Amino acid sequence: MDWQGQRLSEQLMQVMLLTFAVAAYLTGFMVNSFRLMMLIFAGSVVLTALISVPNWPLFDRHPLKWLEPSVAEEFSREHPQKPVSALAASGKKKSSKK
Amino acid sequence: MHSFGYRLNALLTLGVTTLALMCAMASFSDNFNHPSPSANVQVMNVNWFQKQSSGNDEVSLTLKISADLQSTFTWNTKQVFAFLAAEYETPGNSLNQISLWDSIIPSKERAKFTIHTKNKYRLIDQGSNLRGKEFNLTLHWHVMPKTGKMFADKIVMTGYRLPVDYR
Repeated sequence: MDWQGQRLSEQLMQVMLLTFAVAAYLTGFMVNSFRLMMLIFAGSVVLTALISVPNWPLFDRHPLKWLEPSVAEEFSREHPQKPVSALAASGKKKSSKK
Repeated sequence: MHSFGYRLNALLTLGVTTLALMCAMASFSDNFNHPSPSANVQVMNVNWFQKQSSGNDEVSLTLKISADLQSTFTWNTKQVFAFLAAEYETPGNSLNQISLWDSIIPSKERAKFTIHTKNKYRLIDQGSNLRGKEFNLTLHWHVMPKTGKMFADKIVMTGYRLPVDYR
């Protein structure tokens, strides 16, 4: 999931759960059935889990653009004093393309 | 919301919190129920009335108990526990309460009933004060909820009197 996707997933989870909880309570109250309220709520927890917890593609619509390793190496060679992540420094040595 | 486990935990925690809130609201909704119960008890017969070897009076009664507790049931009611108590005053105790009969009513349909029964529990006095005694029969009930607060109430029926002599 990307950052936008995480936010979407969290919002979706909260809105779905709270809406279904209200709906379950009102339905149970109208029909005078405590059991029905519990069943609807249990079902809504499962449904919300299925939709908001797994890593669906819809949560990955704004993927981050990570830099290519070679570009990072090039950058660090041009600016030798700037701190460089250990990965980039000890990463695969590719022949730099100019 | 970083990982699968994190999101699942957040969902389950919110779910449990919401569940607690729904149960609290369900219990709160019981306050809007205004029950109108009724009850009537007749002492059909005094089977026997003796002073036991311990020196305490004991009496055995046959009762006809009819009651309608249907209006005490709500959507949040698990069962209603009802019991009938004999209440009277003696020189030694300002209030004596003796449970004669009780019953668990599991559903609204069973809450309207009439039964003929001998007293389920023995009516034994602390002492020998029962001859000619005036007493009340009070039907108590506890509305036991599925979740939340329990409500208890009673109907007092007066005007009963035990025989003057042992029999």
